Amino acid sequence: MSYTLTEEQQLIQQNVREFAEEYVLEHTTEIDTSGEFPTEIVGQAAEQGLFALLFPEEFGGVEAGFLSYILTVEEISRTCAALGSIIVNHCSLAAEAINRFGSKEQKEQYLPAMCAGETIGAFALNEFCADPGYGESKVVAVREGQDYVLNGKKYFVMNGGAAGVYVVFALTDPENVEKGMSAFLIEAETPGFSVARTIEKMGLNGCPTVEIVLENVKVLASNLLGKENEGMKIVQTLQPMFKLALAAQTLGIAQSALENSIEYAKQRVQFGRPIGKFPAIQSMIAEMAANIHIGRLALYDAAEMVEKGEEEYEVKASMVQLFVNKIGQKTCLDAIQVHGGYGYSQEMLVSRLLRDVKGTIAIDSASEFPEKIIAQNIMGL
Amino acid sequence: MSDALLSPKHLEIQKKARDFAREYIMPVAKELDATGEYPWDIWKRIVDMGWGCMIAPEEYGGPGLDAVSVGLVTEEFAYACLGVMTAVGSNNLSSYPVLLGGQKEVQEKYFKDLLAGKIAAFALTEPGAGCDAAACTTTAEKVGDEYILNGTKCFCTGGGVADYLIIFAVTNPDNRKNKLSCFLVEADRPGVTVGSVENKLGVRASNTTEIILKDVRIPAINLLGNEGEGFKMAMKTLDKARPNVAAQAIGGAQRALDEAKEYVKNRIDANGRPLAKNQFVQFKLADMGMKLEGARQLVRHCQVLKDLEIPYTMTAAMAKALSTDVCVEVACDAVEIMGYYGYSKDSIVEKVMRDAKIQQIYEGTNEVQRIVISGQMLRS
Repeated sequence: MSYTLTEEQQLIQQNVREFAEEYVLEHTTEIDTSGEFPTEIVGQAAEQGLFALLFPEEFGGVEAGFLSYILTVEEISRTCAALGSIIVNHCSLAAEAINRFGSKEQKEQYLPAMCAGETIGAFALNEFCADPGYGESKVVAVREGQDYVLNGKKYFVMNGGAAGVYVVFALTDPENVEKGMSAFLIEAETPGFSVARTIEKMGLNGCPTVEIVLENVKVLASNLLGKENEGMKIVQTLQPMFKLALAAQTLGIAQSALENSIEYAKQRVQFGRPIGKFPAIQSMIAEMAANIHIGRLALYDAAEMVEKGEEEYEVKASMVQLFVNKIGQKTCLDAIQVHGGYGYSQEMLVSRLLRDVKGTIAIDSASEFPEKIIAQNIMGL
Repeated sequence: MSDALLSPKHLEIQKKARDFAREYIMPVAKELDATGEYPWDIWKRIVDMGWGCMIAPEEYGGPGLDAVSVGLVTEEFAYACLGVMTAVGSNNLSSYPVLLGGQKEVQEKYFKDLLAGKIAAFALTEPGAGCDAAACTTTAEKVGDEYILNGTKCFCTGGGVADYLIIFAVTNPDNRKNKLSCFLVEADRPGVTVGSVENKLGVRASNTTEIILKDVRIPAINLLGNEGEGFKMAMKTLDKARPNVAAQAIGGAQRALDEAKEYVKNRIDANGRPLAKNQFVQFKLADMGMKLEGARQLVRHCQVLKDLEIPYTMTAAMAKALSTDVCVEVACDAVEIMGYYGYSKDSIVEKVMRDAKIQQIYEGTNEVQRIVISGQMLRS
């Protein structure tokens, strides 16, 4: 594409693609089937510096810029969306929260190891709000002298179990859900903090997702990330960049769906010719290609805004999310359709792509509807 | 036709199917999806109810259900589990060729067996013959009073558990138009083997396999219809089966919508309000409901046409394509509305979404339906 990526960005894109194809590709089926955290591959990715892209040099990062990070997430997800999720949850949520809101001590304590991939981060925000017993399971933090004591349950924590440090959101003012939430840095070994179970999901297997129980977890006030009751601000600050990272994942997966469909449509013969010669198939392939192209331009544009610190990136991120979610799902559904009965087999990559893409689309449901954010912004209402 | 307009007889069948599905199918659907095991227990109960073959004529002791009734039962079973309905549906699909072209004594034994719990599977597709069904290469050679069959079929629903196979094979290779014939093959005949079993994205309670035929000898009486009529029989069968697949998609979509409705009523958003109070969600649900109701009306209309023996080929193709497209859309929307919970296997909608996708592919892809629809439209 002719979008003006700098030479450095092109190099990163190419290097990551080569890394993914050389080291990750052959393990993707196993990662999907076993659902286990791919420790070795994560280590190799970290060696390539893929966990350090967003962060300042003084804390072990390489400050490669947000667009380079987006390109990386896209390329990794094109090969293995689960590894993409591991990186996104680690970088865009856990480490970025520390980077933006942590004290100097907290940054020094966690960021170097997180940039090196030695400590994996997880973001424990979600709760099972549709549970009839939800009232009792909400995570609440009560101040006791110099400590906070946390109790409750967190649901759908990605990277859970594999993570060494968790950014846990808890209500410090239980009466005020919106303004009474705070973030805490909690290490996996902290007494009372435990993984209750692994949550099975449709796809993104390999990025383990768990339920966490906090039972009288006592942490020092110095474990508070940002100020008390600043939790929602942290979430809202990270959200646009998280959305863009998810969109990069979605587009990476969609790109793979397109490539696989092209290959199959060229070699599968029905009625005496390759099915790619039929307008029915051409419509699907053409739409996939056009949508991915447009989505990518919008994504890179928004990523550049983040990099340059331009204010409108927030609304642009929601626009990207709105568009990319629709076309990402359509692309993967159509890729299976192009493959016919073969596409429905678990042995065919396209069936996994649908399972994975639905995750990058659906899991951001904790945030506002992108339509709302866009409309409110552009109308000023 | 909405439920309110159904006859008392149809309402009774609907209730019987619903009660059964909620009691016996729904509770085990997730487990069947995880294990991929054939639902033998459910199957036995269905047989005990006399629904082992819903379309078996009354003269053979069958229930002889009309199209509306088959559709209602199918909706209810599919609501509980699309995989189970796919498994159970193979006895309906496979029976059309026997009804269309089976000799009386063949029909008699076949339906008696199915009603006693035997399973039939429809084997048309081959590795090189999907949408292009006429490209089959399985052969049937007539030797004396027998046919000898050779070839490989794939994506055969029920292939690994079937007692009877409906096999389409080439009898007249030189006659491009009439090269195929249709046969009833007992699965225990020497030379019939089950090849690879598909590990599928969804409908995992149904069994999908390759069927390999090597010098399989069958008596000539097992020829269904006349020699050379195979392609026509296959098309007629799919024509008749389309309203059933369509009904199945309606059941699946209804489940996804109901799950999403229930969820948004309970799910509290960041502002402390139920998601159901959010207009974005309300409109999404309204859209899902509109699409589903529109599709349901077309599907039931098609069943009525079929029961009244009014030509329904185009309507059936429309009903199949529309309802299966809607089922996928509604299931995808349900997962999205339910967010990370919908994506988890703690919910059922992720399974409905995986299950739904095959309906756009099997029994004639939705591209083939569009060929049928436009062909019918442009003919007049």
